[in-house]
Amino acid sequence: MKHLLRTLFGLGAAAAAIGFMCYHLNSAPELHAAVRKGDAMAWLRADFNLDERQFAEIQRLHENYAPSCEEHCRMIQEAIQARDALRRTNGDDLVAAAEAERTLQQLRATCESAITVHVQQVAAVMSPEDGKRYLALVLPKIANFDHQVAPDLKLEGRPQH
Amino acid sequence: MGCGVLPLAIPMNTSRDKLSETLQDWRVKPPSDPGFRAAVWRRIGQQGEATWTAYLRAHTAAWAVAAVLTFSVAGVAGRALAQARVEADRETMVVSYLVELDPRAQAILKQ
Repeated sequence: MKHLLRTLFGLGAAAAAIGFMCYHLNSAPELHAAVRKGDAMAWLRADFNLDERQFAEIQRLHENYAPSCEEHCRMIQEAIQARDALRRTNGDDLVAAAEAERTLQQLRATCESAITVHVQQVAAVMSPEDGKRYLALVLPKIANFDHQVAPDLKLEGRPQH
Repeated sequence: MGCGVLPLAIPMNTSRDKLSETLQDWRVKPPSDPGFRAAVWRRIGQQGEATWTAYLRAHTAAWAVAAVLTFSVAGVAGRALAQARVEADRETMVVSYLVELDPRAQAILKQ
């Protein structure tokens, strides 16, 4: 019995060591560090193997894109407010409500096109393989924003920029 | 017959008395050995090791199969856990990144 327990203990210890080693070999310390800091750019740099030049170029693209992002954001907010105001004050006017909704959807589509162009520019700065992987990660979420990103925002109340 | 026994009995008693006296006077004084206890425990330990080795040898096939299975499960589980964490963290970062980029997300947050 003593030998059985000793053997089981040794086997368990060795298995734990192997499991721990495999965990560490397959983990991504830079990614986990970026998540802890909440730093999306650090994630981009680590996960897509960006060198200094690529990172600087992508930061420049983001900075150039930021004003149009804010402008789109303001226009969408105004369209949402207009639609909601119309629903509150003139709920029976279906034509006006449909028009307000259509305006909002057009703005959202314009915004989706703009952000798609932007991420394609970002991907072009990366190596072809990393760029392809980046687009495979972000494009479906941009296309399915209402199902994949918006619910998270509504539930988690993320910080604003 | 009785005459034959008596003369023999007397010398025997005498020799027993002498033996008793000798034994009473006998004192054993072995030289002290400071390493005696350590040597005993070492021998006991060696016996235990040998026994465990013998146990393992007797069950080599069973323990080898158990070791291969356990190590495989441990390795696969470690890898799967790491990958699941990487995927979850990546998902978190993609959403966080898109929230910064996507005006639709900003519009929701500012409502």
